[in-house]
Amino acid sequence: MKRKVLINVVGILLAFLLGALVMILQGYNPLETYFRLFEYSLGSPSKISYTLTKSVPLILTGLSASVAFASGPINLGQPGQFLMGALLATIGGLYIDMPPVLMIPFLLVLAMVGGALWSGVAALCKHFFNMSEFITTLMLNMIADFFTFWAISYPFFEENANYPQTPLIAKNGWMPDWGNFGSSVLVMLIAVAIIWFIMNRTTAGYEWRISGQNSLFSRLGGVNVNKNYILVMLLTGALAGLAGGLVVMSGPHRFIKGLGANYAWDGVMIAMVANSGVILTLLFGFFFGILQTGSLGMELITAVPRELIQVLQAVIVLIVVAGRGYFETLFAAMEAKRKMKERTT
Amino acid sequence: MNIFTGLIKGMISAATPILLAALGGSLTYYAGIFNIAMEGMMLSGAFFAMLGSYYFHSWPIGILFAILGAILMALIFILFAVVLKMDEFITGIGLNLFAVGLTTYMLRQIFSVKGAFSDPGIVSIPKVDIPLIKDIPVLGEILSGHNLIVYLTLLATILVSYIVFKTRFGLRLRAAGYNRTCLDTSGVSANKIRIWSLILCGVLCGLAGAYLSLGYVTLFSEGMSAGRGWISLAAVILVSGNPTGIALISLLFGFTDGLGLFLQQSLPSQFTSMVPYLATLIALFVYSMRLKKKLTV
Repeated sequence: MKRKVLINVVGILLAFLLGALVMILQGYNPLETYFRLFEYSLGSPSKISYTLTKSVPLILTGLSASVAFASGPINLGQPGQFLMGALLATIGGLYIDMPPVLMIPFLLVLAMVGGALWSGVAALCKHFFNMSEFITTLMLNMIADFFTFWAISYPFFEENANYPQTPLIAKNGWMPDWGNFGSSVLVMLIAVAIIWFIMNRTTAGYEWRISGQNSLFSRLGGVNVNKNYILVMLLTGALAGLAGGLVVMSGPHRFIKGLGANYAWDGVMIAMVANSGVILTLLFGFFFGILQTGSLGMELITAVPRELIQVLQAVIVLIVVAGRGYFETLFAAMEAKRKMKERTT
Repeated sequence: MNIFTGLIKGMISAATPILLAALGGSLTYYAGIFNIAMEGMMLSGAFFAMLGSYYFHSWPIGILFAILGAILMALIFILFAVVLKMDEFITGIGLNLFAVGLTTYMLRQIFSVKGAFSDPGIVSIPKVDIPLIKDIPVLGEILSGHNLIVYLTLLATILVSYIVFKTRFGLRLRAAGYNRTCLDTSGVSANKIRIWSLILCGVLCGLAGAYLSLGYVTLFSEGMSAGRGWISLAAVILVSGNPTGIALISLLFGFTDGLGLFLQQSLPSQFTSMVPYLATLIALFVYSMRLKKKLTV
């Protein structure tokens, strides 16, 4: 356990060191830049709660990818499922109005249905036609991108707007905010808790994880692999859709063009760096949230372009994952050597 | 007649970047590498092509830069996937994201723009008229007057086909994918072969990138590879790496792209832009149906 924490921390530090090197080469002061980055995102309780609220979609799409990767299906369709969830929640919010107690859960369920429908298409393609979900989800991402763009430009277009967007959704469907702390954080935490419980404390979660590690073994052990595959795809789609719905309901309260662009690949990235673990996904999702929120402050004060954070994120993923494999073989080799010595003496 | 030749020309120019990247993917496919980094290599190539062409006002340097930029990505892939033995899938995804981040960052840092950069200083790759052939009525219009890269692509298709099936390197390449232990025990380093296949893939993806930013259009915009790397991956998988098959599939995708433009008269552009991706799904469907038939017979 300690070793795992150490590997992750060393990987992140190495990535930061590389980032600092790049900054020095371009004449920036890395220490000040990093200080501003963290100061802006973690400097005060209200800033922390703002950052936490901002990392909700990151954590949820990350969770979606984590559950999928841990259980076998390579669902890379989070961006598309996110958009479809956001679109369905928006449409619900445009045409239906209920008291908030009913409205918010209703819209959240709609968002999950939207995401699950979209991942369901990929799941059915695999189930009936054996088409690899790895490519179908990617293609469905592109299609969802154009489809939602069409939806907000024609049927649900706000009249007189000079930018593709829908009108505002009903006020009863807005996620309440307490200062900088959005209630979407609570929804996210509940989702994380449920997923953790399913993955670690139920038979279904056990079957999924075993199928992810060795599909043949689980099939021979009597696991219904096909049924589980469809379930996982629907669940992970629902999670990504939920992220989309929450962004609409707590952020702009409408569907704007480019809504999901910021979260496009972050979910997959977080799942990979978190090694598909639920708790690590939560932590890394928040960490990436810190970086992304802080990048704004960094750019405002130190003039380092915030796009640097995009590079840094990818470097963190590569180094942490490579480091994990490298250190694990290193530790295994050390262990083996020690045992050899013990036996010879 | 005009629509017909226009459609064919559109098909060829849309197919070119997909075909180039897919040829690179074919080499790594034969070497047994699950290489999904074509998207990132192409994007990096497109950026560096624009950079070289802008600073030196010359397209050959643009192409050179594109190839170097894509090879840089290939080297990072080699470092992580071959040297550090990291999962190829994760390396590929990480590298694609790195390419997106790097090009956006440099676009911002060097040119101080967000989104896209175009400038009259960027010199595009010239179109080539083939003497004699260009005077033949319809055929000349179709075959002549394409971008230089289009003809290079034709050459590359033949070359890759020849290298893979007719040379010693090609034999070793296929052996590396088929049974790398066997190759290692016969005294040829499988890793070395894999590294070369990735570098060659970088060269081809660099050319594809140069075509995007200096041929198709004369500008660079963020994420301008727009999923072409993924489509080329689908093409490689569909024909199990065969270069001739890849050429045919790429032309098919190019055709659907042109078809999309053609349909724009009657459908909203958002739907016509979906056509190549839908075509990929349909191609996967046909492929799996064919596979199913083979298995049941």
